[in-house]
This record gives sequence, C-alpha cells and structure tokens, in this order.
Amino acid sequence: MKYNYEDGSLKIDLDEELDMSACRTLRSVIDGYIMRYQPHDFIIDLSKVKFMDSSGIGLLIGRYNLIKFMDAKMTILNPTNSIKRVLELSNISDKITMRCE
Amino acid sequence: MEEDNKIKIEIKAKLVNVSIVRVAISSFITTLDITIDELMDIKTAISEAVTNAIEHAYKDEELENATVVINAYIYSNDENIIKIEIEDKGMGIEDVETAMMPTYTSKPELEHAGMGFTIMQTFMDEILIDSKKDIGTKITLIKKLKKKKSKLV
Repeated sequence: MKYNYEDGSLKIDLDEELDMSACRTLRSVIDGYIMRYQPHDFIIDLSKVKFMDSSGIGLLIGRYNLIKFMDAKMTILNPTNSIKRVLELSNISDKITMRCE
Repeated sequence: MEEDNKIKIEIKAKLVNVSIVRVAISSFITTLDITIDELMDIKTAISEAVTNAIEHAYKDEELENATVVINAYIYSNDENIIKIEIEDKGMGIEDVETAMMPTYTSKPELEHAGMGFTIMQTFMDEILIDSKKDIGTKITLIKKLKKKKSKLV
C-alpha cells in the first residue's frame, strides 16, 4: 500500500490481494490516514490489485461510510476487469464514483 | 463421469490460510485449458466459502483446534468439470435461506459485505449447501469449463 496527500486529496494505492485477512489490517491503516488528513477527495487506486473477494466490497463500503460523514467525495480508480465483475454484484457503484484513466 | 484428478487440503481455521488455498487450487486447475475469467471465478468463490467457514463455523474458543478441509476434483468427459468441496465441523448454518440473501451478514461490525453466497452463486454453475446443526457444513461448488477451440498448431 502507498499513500499520497496533496491539496485536500488523499490517494491510496493498493497492491495486496483484498481478502478478509488483508482487509482487516488495511481498514485501520486507511482510516488512520483519513482521520489524519481529513481529505475533501478520497481516491482508492485498484490498478495493482490482482484479486478481490467480497471482503474488498466491505472494505470499500466501510471507507465510504466514513468519508460520507466528513462530507468528502470518494472515487475508485482503475479496477481490473475481474475486480469490476465482483464490484458489479454489489450496489457500490450507486454510491461511489468509479473511474478508469 | 470419470474422476481425472483430485487434491485434498486441510488447513487450520485461520484467515491467513485462505490465500494459500487459493494458490493451491489455482495450480491444481491450471493443468486444464482454462480462461483467466474462469480461473478468477473459481478463486473468488473458493475464497468466499473458506472465509465463511473460518469466520462463522466455529466459536472463538473452538478455533484453536478447528480445521477446514478442501477437496477439489477434476472430471473429464466431453467437457471438463471442476468440483470443490469446502467442509467444516462447526455449528452449522441455522437458516440457510437467510444466509444466502444478498447483503445479509451476521457480523456487520466486521464489515462483512454479506455478498459471499451471491458471489458463489454467480461465479459458479452450481452450489450445494449441506449443513447440520453442531455437525458442520459442506459447501459444494461446481464449474463447467467452456470448450475451447483446439489449437491448430
């Protein structure tokens, strides 16, 4: 995982396999950065994530619920095709902007 | 249907072992002519079933001696069929119908999305749930691989 904060925008680059074991560690680490920087824009880049199961959906929705309270915006960046197929099973795209660039 | 190959894995019920099961089953089935999408479908479904067994089957005080057994089979006939059984000796699923409802989770505080069974149902061709109170749960996942065009050269 890498993070970068600039001008109110916090970007997290994930590169681990998002299963329950990884997500449990990541959620507290990511929330630590969110609380420290209180960003207006919160971006999670998934381009390096090669595997994700429903734990990843839980991780993303959990962060969204936190970001929502701070009146900030959340974006999911560059999910690979196989991860998009998992995300599409949830209603996550109704809540969180998804963008590929 | 002829059984072509089989692998059995027994793990201690710990979440760190889920990725090991994914890698092992992936290697086992990549001996077949399989697309990346099919492989990812199977990996994701297995990950859900094994995670469920570890997270829900056992009480905290039982976890130290708890295991999950994964059996994977390849059947070859006109088409290749992969069958994976995920078995625990835990408390059983009290209400299977409720457990299978999309977004239902018994542990929302752990940020479970409640999408496990939905993923298993969507990504596999068949799912069987055999659960008995205080005896355990066996999930059977079946995937039929699409016939590929044979290579000419």
